Amino acid sequence: MAENKKYWRGISELENPELVKGLAEQEFPSNIPAEEFLGNRDNLESTHTSRRDFLKYMGFTTAAATLAACESPVYESLPYVVAPEEIIPGIANYYATSYYDGHDYASILIKTREGRPIKVENNKEAKLNGAANTRVHASVLNLYDATRRQRPVVGGTDSDWSSLDAEVMKGLKAAEAAGKQVVVLTSSVISPSQKALINKFGAGFSNFKHVSLDPFSYSNKLDAWQEATGKRALPLYNFANARTIVSVGADFLGDWVGQSVSGDYATTRIPGPNMSRHLQFESGMSLTGSNADKRYKVKAAEYGAVLVNLYNEIASAKGMTSMSGSPIMKAEAKAAAKELLAAGSKALVVCGGNNKENEHLCIAINKMLGNTEETVSYANRSYLRQGDEKAFNTLVGDMKAGKVGALITHNLNPAYVMSGNSDFKAAFEKVPSSIAVSMKYDETAQLAKHVAAESHYLESWGDFSAADNHYSLQQPTIKPLFDTRQFEECLMKWSGLNGSYIDFIKNNWNAGILGSTDWTKVLHDGVFVKSAAVVEEMTAETEMEAGVSIDLAAAAAKALATAKKAPAMELNFTQMTGMGVGTIANNPWLLEFPDPITRVSWDNYLSISAADAAELGLKNWNESNGALNGSTVNLKVNGNTLENVPVFIQPGQTIGTVALAVGYGRFGAGSIADKVGVNAYSLMGMDHSAEVSIEAVADSEHGFACIQLAHTMMGRDIVKEVNLDTYLNEDAQNGHDGWNEPPIFETHKGPLSGEDVNLWDDFDHETGHFWNMSIDLNLCNGCGACVIACHSENNVPVVGKDEMRKHRDMHWLRIDRYYSSDISEENADENGYEGLGLLGKGTTDMYADMEKPSESPEVFFQPVMCQHCNHAPCETVCPVAATTHSSEGLNHMTYNRCIGTRYCANNCPYKVRRFNWFQYHDNMVGMFGDNYAMNDDLGRMVLNPDVTVRSRGVMEKCSMCIQRTQLGKLEAKKRGKALKDGEVQTACQSACDTGAIAFGDVNDKDSKVFKMKQDKRMYHLLAEVGTQPSVFYQVKVRNTTA
Amino acid sequence: MPAKSQAQEIEGDVANGKSLFNSQCAACHKIDRKVVGPALGDVTQRRETEWLIAWIKNNEELRSSGDADAIAIFEEYNGSIMPAFPALSDQDVMDILAYTIDAAKPKEVVPGDPDGSVGTVEEDDNSIFLYILGAILLFLVILLARVKNTLKSVKGDLTTTMMEDANVFTRTALKNPRVITVLTIVIAVVFFQQVYVNLMAVNVDTGYQPSQPIKFSHELHAGENQIDCNYCHSGARKSKHSNIPSANVCMNCHMYINEGPKYGTEEISKIYAAVGWDADKGQYIEGYEQKPIKWVRIHKLPDLAYFNHAQHVTAGNVECQTCHGPIEEMEEVYQYSPLTMGWCIDCHRETKVQVESNSYYKEMHAKLKEKYGAEAEITVEMIGGLECGKCHY
Repeated sequence: MAENKKYWRGISELENPELVKGLAEQEFPSNIPAEEFLGNRDNLESTHTSRRDFLKYMGFTTAAATLAACESPVYESLPYVVAPEEIIPGIANYYATSYYDGHDYASILIKTREGRPIKVENNKEAKLNGAANTRVHASVLNLYDATRRQRPVVGGTDSDWSSLDAEVMKGLKAAEAAGKQVVVLTSSVISPSQKALINKFGAGFSNFKHVSLDPFSYSNKLDAWQEATGKRALPLYNFANARTIVSVGADFLGDWVGQSVSGDYATTRIPGPNMSRHLQFESGMSLTGSNADKRYKVKAAEYGAVLVNLYNEIASAKGMTSMSGSPIMKAEAKAAAKELLAAGSKALVVCGGNNKENEHLCIAINKMLGNTEETVSYANRSYLRQGDEKAFNTLVGDMKAGKVGALITHNLNPAYVMSGNSDFKAAFEKVPSSIAVSMKYDETAQLAKHVAAESHYLESWGDFSAADNHYSLQQPTIKPLFDTRQFEECLMKWSGLNGSYIDFIKNNWNAGILGSTDWTKVLHDGVFVKSAAVVEEMTAETEMEAGVSIDLAAAAAKALATAKKAPAMELNFTQMTGMGVGTIANNPWLLEFPDPITRVSWDNYLSISAADAAELGLKNWNESNGALNGSTVNLKVNGNTLENVPVFIQPGQTIGTVALAVGYGRFGAGSIADKVGVNAYSLMGMDHSAEVSIEAVADSEHGFACIQLAHTMMGRDIVKEVNLDTYLNEDAQNGHDGWNEPPIFETHKGPLSGEDVNLWDDFDHETGHFWNMSIDLNLCNGCGACVIACHSENNVPVVGKDEMRKHRDMHWLRIDRYYSSDISEENADENGYEGLGLLGKGTTDMYADMEKPSESPEVFFQPVMCQHCNHAPCETVCPVAATTHSSEGLNHMTYNRCIGTRYCANNCPYKVRRFNWFQYHDNMVGMFGDNYAMNDDLGRMVLNPDVTVRSRGVMEKCSMCIQRTQLGKLEAKKRGKALKDGEVQTACQSACDTGAIAFGDVNDKDSKVFKMKQDKRMYHLLAEVGTQPSVFYQVKVRNTTA
Repeated sequence: MPAKSQAQEIEGDVANGKSLFNSQCAACHKIDRKVVGPALGDVTQRRETEWLIAWIKNNEELRSSGDADAIAIFEEYNGSIMPAFPALSDQDVMDILAYTIDAAKPKEVVPGDPDGSVGTVEEDDNSIFLYILGAILLFLVILLARVKNTLKSVKGDLTTTMMEDANVFTRTALKNPRVITVLTIVIAVVFFQQVYVNLMAVNVDTGYQPSQPIKFSHELHAGENQIDCNYCHSGARKSKHSNIPSANVCMNCHMYINEGPKYGTEEISKIYAAVGWDADKGQYIEGYEQKPIKWVRIHKLPDLAYFNHAQHVTAGNVECQTCHGPIEEMEEVYQYSPLTMGWCIDCHRETKVQVESNSYYKEMHAKLKEKYGAEAEITVEMIGGLECGKCHY
């Protein structure tokens, strides 16, 4: 960006450069006689201004200045000149739109205030992916990322659209003239209009290709489906119908094939005779595995063998021919098969990884079980993953051979996701005209000749069809903030199409999609499902194609061979709940989001089992302030090395396997993301696992930001659990040995429950509302969408890694994770803990060992926010009455009254109070400087104007979204009607698609929360301290018999 | 036809006419003055009743029927169209006309009007009494001093002047430690009281009256022209903000009114400059870069306090004037209330909640009756209106 322009600092510099130059050299035009004045003692003593006088004057002036400063500043207030009809300042508007970034897809609502998008909400009308995950909830923040590409780049320099268009057209023409290929490289395209546009664009060239590649490839899986059904698409899974679910390595609650199934899954997890049973075979501890009723540890290379055994068991039961089996997990597979057979068509087997044989076996098993259209839908196929590895490899070959004249990339960052492919970079550089359509100056954009600055999804139009008959629309909710254009507009320009993309979509929809449905209605709803008549037609079509058969014997043989030569140490590539594949990596909310399993934020790391860690001499240890540290290792896969990877010891990790998440270790994603983690993609091929050699780095130390030190509940009833049999057949409370006994205290009045042992006067909670919240531990799967939703609703600050290491996290809502321990007080005797332990292991050793999670632990998730105690310990210790109780059962926190003594936090048994150690907003100093969330002018646009931004030195905590309860009440008053259940929802509740969180007025006897309060599973957290919280939990029921 | 007799024939409900006039006609018509449309005070003398009914209900029909008067008046007002009011019944129109007659009558001056001079005299009375009292006391002091001196001279003692007496008294008093203590306490109390009062007044801007970019007169618009507050500040009923109207709202009337009674075209032309209106041609200027009007904000609560207009205006049925004062009399708006927390709380303690008329409160009211007795008046405080978190979150 060489510029030869000369700038003047003022008109005088232009008119009299000499004078200005002289002035610049000499800051003080004449010498100040300081020496003369201070050096002369007599002179000094003869002055009339003594030191005292000086202080007097200074004191007076300071006081005067202070008093003068008491005058209020003048605020200007600028109304619209012509007010848009739909905007009433102070009232939120909601728009239905869709999110798709090449990996995550969701139908969502966007809340805007005064024209600014500020929050993502789930679109409850949507039949497919109506639940936003953590990333989608956080995506609104990326709109306000100033490190987004703000204008196009031509040949490495900032430019404008007309020069970019000219350059691109020139490149395309040159490619066409030379007879070379013109290629559009994208992730899976699920937009019908975008697809049509790409085809239209391609029609202008004699040698055009559209290649798609998923950032986390399922190419082999797709090939398997193509071979089995003739259609290269995955089915839609219906978990709502499943009664027995066997997952072999599929992390369907976390990151699997893009279909959001957690809501459907949760409907089967409501305890009762019909509760589903979920068995999980997996290598690393995944979100899905931690929710399973029974989890088995196997290596990823052995998934195939498990599937073969499952197949054999089911086949022999059905009287079909079985194949030769494997000794791996034989007994477990037999038990699993029995349960699958019992469930019949309501059984479901899913498998993970990117492996054709395994998928074939899985298809065959599901066919044998006869669950087609019950739990596996062939009629409605999902198009969320379409990437084609072979086509991509061909493309790389062509690029290398110089056959590609122009390459346009969109929604995909191939230079990053293919960083393990050493050929790719060289091949890319050989393309004479490469254009990256990107929101960031990311890895690919830096390689490309030109960068077309792309608009954010909240600034763009779009349409999607993620599965057969399921459609959704994307509409802009704000004008582009920068000089950007959406991909489709670029394509239209480059293919010489006039008009706007929205008209293109409309024409496309009116021609083939809408039928008699009104466009405006679809735009309002955001989603559209085609009528049943069309669906039937489609079914017939697929059945015709489904005649293709698969060679199962060959698949089984290959699966067994893979299992046999399973590597001694296997590296599995995973995705972190908060990061996914890293498409929106530069997001402080996501980076600070503690992983549900490890509770580590601001990092990716190598998960390893305790046994392997011991063998390799790797450690995790805590500093004196509790901060977690870990050793680091160098990883070697197929000759590629990744250095200084921190190690995290993960209970439940299969021995002989390690796991590393992709999405981190960025270069060009933005100022914050670039400093975090290591790039796992540099080791990853198309498979999701690889053989790895691990070399410990001597004397290495890596600091983690892990916010939970306790791994287990240490024998306490923090999360209560019961198995399904006991739940169904035994009493919850029968004196003392029920499965949900409240604590009983011996008093002079006889034994009393914690509720009745009471020092305080009770509040009147009969009158008006009494807000309560129920959290069903059976339905919560730990996904963390609520944490991000809370973050964005309540202006929760981001504090950065250093502060997180000091446990100064600000999340109002955290999800505690506990592992089960092998040792309990009940089985202490069997394990040889006796007495004081003078001769061997004693009670103290027992308690110490209870803190160690077992090697195959059960996992518990527990969302904990302010419990809104009706006898709140925090309220009684506040010296300034900044935290007080409301007549509606909430514990209020008054920031402007708080003086920051932190007594309340110390006295809180739930540790939910958060202290502002620094000014986290408007603070660009040091470690806070990179954080743009509410920290620069643009980042502050995302703030919720109804919630105060807290300053340094005050305490804050969950308010139960009081701004929402107050609004709900006001709307009811304005209407003059009683408030109905469900009209007020907290942010966490509305983000939770499993329905684990129920919030409402327990004085309303028709409310869900009232029913949940009467449920026999209801218990209060730490009921023995007698705080009488307004939040209560439902006992977790695991579908196990023992 | 004799004009006077027309006026006698009209019989209507003046009260209903007034409310109809204010809701339907007042935006364009006034009784005594020509605004968008003609002054209506003497309209019944100018026109026949039947003609008026026809014109008001649907003037376009009347014009198309070729009525010469109708066409003439249409042309007189540059073809600006008066909307049709088909919803008004004949009686409604009669009511309105009755009101125009009533309103045009010269008002009788009511003696003892609160705005009259009686109140002022009363206030002066107090201070006059005080002066008189002071004068009497002074007279007594002088009288006593004279009496003392007279007695002294009768006795043969030396007489002292009043100044000498005062001197002796002061000296003795200042030597007395008790007096000094009391004096110190009094001075200290007064000092600290003053410091406290002054500090409490920091950032309390009662009476703040900044000059605005446009000399907009609420006295004229809300007072004289009786425009409803919510017409311009439409957000107050629905939202937390009572928005400052956008310039296009001004233009609803000022497309036709381009001259004000006080500043002529000067101030109104500032609106035109903001929106880009060519007053001569009577149309918007194409491609004009609109400039928002930079009003100076008068009422500002700190960010830590949540205030919602809709809660007070719609749910609470509080008059705008309760907090904003006699807006309709303000030529230039000033901050009427202190907007301090104490002020909010005082009102919440005293204000009754409309538990009877709003069925949102139905169940709550039943419980509250149990708690406070059936006859008790339910104040905002009783339903939790003093709790910190209701306004601070």
